[in-house]
Amino acid sequence: MTPPLISFYFQVHQPYRLRDLRITEIGRDNVTYFDEEKNRAVFRKVAEKCYLPANRLMLELLNRHPNFAISYSLSGVFLEQCGEYGQDVLDSFRALAATGKVEFLAETYYHSLSALTSLEEFCEQVEKHVHTIETLFGQRPKVFRNTELVFSNEIAEIARLLGFHGILAEGADHLLRGRTPNQPYTIPKFSLPEATQKLIKKHKIHRKPVEEIAVLLKNYRLSDDVAFRFSDRSWVGFPLHADTFTSWLTSSGGHSVNLYMDYETFGEHQWADTGIFEFLRALPRMWEQWNIGTETPSKVIALWGDRPKETFDAHTHVSWADIERDLSAWRGNRIQEAAFAGIYGLEQEIKQTEDEALLHIWRKLQTSDHFYYMCTKYWNDGDVHKYFSPYDSPYEAYRRYSHALCDLKTRLEKSSKHQKSNSK
Amino acid sequence: MARHTLMFGWEYPPRHLGGLGVACQGLVRGLLHHGTQVTLVLPHGDVEMDHGVDLKCPTLKQLKEIRVRSLLQPYDAPSTYAERVDGMINQTPRTDVNLYGRDLGEAVWEFEELAVELTKDIQPDIVHSHDWMTFGAGRRAARHHRVPLVAQIHATELDRTNGNPNMWIYDQERRGLNAADHIITVSNYTKNILIHDYGISANKIDVVHNGAPFTSALSGTPQLTNDRRAHPMVLFIGRLTVQKGPFHFLEAARMVHDMNGNTRFVVAGDGYLLPDLIERSCAMGLQDSVMFAGKVSHTEARKLYTHASCFVMPSISEPFGLVALEAIAHGTPVILSKQSGVREVVPHSLLVDFWDTEKLADCILTVIREEPLAMQLTAEAPHVLSHLTWENQAAKVLSIYDKARINF
Repeated sequence: MTPPLISFYFQVHQPYRLRDLRITEIGRDNVTYFDEEKNRAVFRKVAEKCYLPANRLMLELLNRHPNFAISYSLSGVFLEQCGEYGQDVLDSFRALAATGKVEFLAETYYHSLSALTSLEEFCEQVEKHVHTIETLFGQRPKVFRNTELVFSNEIAEIARLLGFHGILAEGADHLLRGRTPNQPYTIPKFSLPEATQKLIKKHKIHRKPVEEIAVLLKNYRLSDDVAFRFSDRSWVGFPLHADTFTSWLTSSGGHSVNLYMDYETFGEHQWADTGIFEFLRALPRMWEQWNIGTETPSKVIALWGDRPKETFDAHTHVSWADIERDLSAWRGNRIQEAAFAGIYGLEQEIKQTEDEALLHIWRKLQTSDHFYYMCTKYWNDGDVHKYFSPYDSPYEAYRRYSHALCDLKTRLEKSSKHQKSNSK
Repeated sequence: MARHTLMFGWEYPPRHLGGLGVACQGLVRGLLHHGTQVTLVLPHGDVEMDHGVDLKCPTLKQLKEIRVRSLLQPYDAPSTYAERVDGMINQTPRTDVNLYGRDLGEAVWEFEELAVELTKDIQPDIVHSHDWMTFGAGRRAARHHRVPLVAQIHATELDRTNGNPNMWIYDQERRGLNAADHIITVSNYTKNILIHDYGISANKIDVVHNGAPFTSALSGTPQLTNDRRAHPMVLFIGRLTVQKGPFHFLEAARMVHDMNGNTRFVVAGDGYLLPDLIERSCAMGLQDSVMFAGKVSHTEARKLYTHASCFVMPSISEPFGLVALEAIAHGTPVILSKQSGVREVVPHSLLVDFWDTEKLADCILTVIREEPLAMQLTAEAPHVLSHLTWENQAAKVLSIYDKARINF
């Protein structure tokens, strides 16, 4: 039996955290919402601990092992922060791209949940992201991953109509029902309404949609062994060595084992002194010995070829968050819903102003992290560490966010008055 | 398992000023629930005691005897003096004591002197002292009975005095804490004070948060009344002392008033700062917005909670802050001082540093403006009350007794 392929995808993202906005500032001229200092500090910290050393290692591995390949999804807001705080980080990603063995995936530029509420906004953000990736790395993404792997049949169909060959999703047990996550699936056949299709066509990324979009599923058990459990001393698998992990991968079988995780796993979630970098360094060599290939998502799909795909049927949304694997981390309580409705409720007005700066700020407020910080799911247990947040509490997150929303509204009012007086 | 605790308390409902009395009663009831035998020693007998508690308090006779002893030494023998005063001696428990009056030092001393005499016939497994007034008594009793001493801190002298302690009291506290085999604090906040300001080792201290003697008064989905929306009211309930931060409340009220002139403020409670506070609020031009309600009854408090848009506890240093739990039980959103213990058990709240009155005002205005925020705090906060019971907290105390006995 041939061993499965290994396919790595790393998520790279940083939100624009909000500063301690005060109610008295609302309506003043040019109020800034974002915590410049904090965002810079976090970016630099993660750059030193993760992005730079991890990219150095990846470059070394890509150069040394001809069969080693990896993929990334870099959010647009991350890339913007590279521009502001880390040209060195951006350069190191471009060096990786230059090896020709790195695939960059598409996502919503603002790492948003727009797929849940506004098709047009969603398509525009994907377009913007694809354009950015193409400009920076010289490749037009063929595979799409939605924010936090939020996935549904509908989102996959939209991705197909946009022209993507594949889409990533969480290998959620309740949808797999005993089947392996290690092979490409597809979605049930159905048609979106004419008007929806027309709208999507306006934003097409690739000319001709494929017949069947491939759904690549995260093998969450094996992914989380590295991402969450690697340094967990109470875990039965501790300490995890490259050979043990490789034997788990091969015995997992199937077409490809998809290891999807946050890039911060390397050096930030698992600190360097846990041995995570040594572990990573040892893998490609071991896989070469065992004759195990690594491939990017596009290649995984291509190698599956015309073989029939089974159906992965997600009527409701799945994500990679928490044990619930649903939307409750972002839309699970009143304040999250209020914030969500508040920001997307401004879409038409914001777009009517045709004010690029205003549009950009509005979109930066769509980043999913803002809603995540308001999550109170595990708040009763006092398990505050479950949800990492730059703020004191979900309520502080909401306080800042609601002030930003209020100020944005006053800007809108000023802008529309301005327009009216101009048109007179 | 410890089955018999000898407890030294000070105040006890209905004769109490602060959290100590309520917490002491809650703990006694919780311990009884677990079948623990409780002998409670109080300096006064004017209390409604639960069935099953062996209450001991000094009789006037005993008090007079120790006063006499101290007066006469070394000139006279107690027995001869006793003959002279015999006629005056009354055998009933005293009820006329002023718990925190000018004779506090004397009362504490009396209590300590009688600690062994009052309890010499019982056989406790553990001695448990509440706050510095009883530490001396606890120390003597523990030595006499040869059992471990557990000292519980409900408030430190530093909390009460905004960092300007009476050194004699501070020393009493330190002595008691050092002598204790184990220490219970009512919050991590207080635990940290003991570590940093009293030099107590962290592994000698365990935290047992106070239980909540309230159950949620809410039923069904909370609704925001139109009245609340049109005329928001912000509530302060507490003793009007520096510790409770009433001036910070007024400062925030002024800022809220500047932004939202419809907002009313109620300051409920009594205390020596009342005249100053009234004067200050007038000087701020808030005479029509701030109402001083004085000390309020339970029924009045309930009404205030129900009508308030939010409850504010801006304490400068608050070991626990039971009143916040009362507010939560009535579905009132709470804004709490970060310098408090209760915040550790009320995750569904807004938190501010007590000195940051601008942020306090901001939080008040946000709760008033943002209905979803108010609704969520109202709906979520009371969940804590169901597991923060005195039965659960007493179980934690019992496991601390066990630990103290094993290490003794």
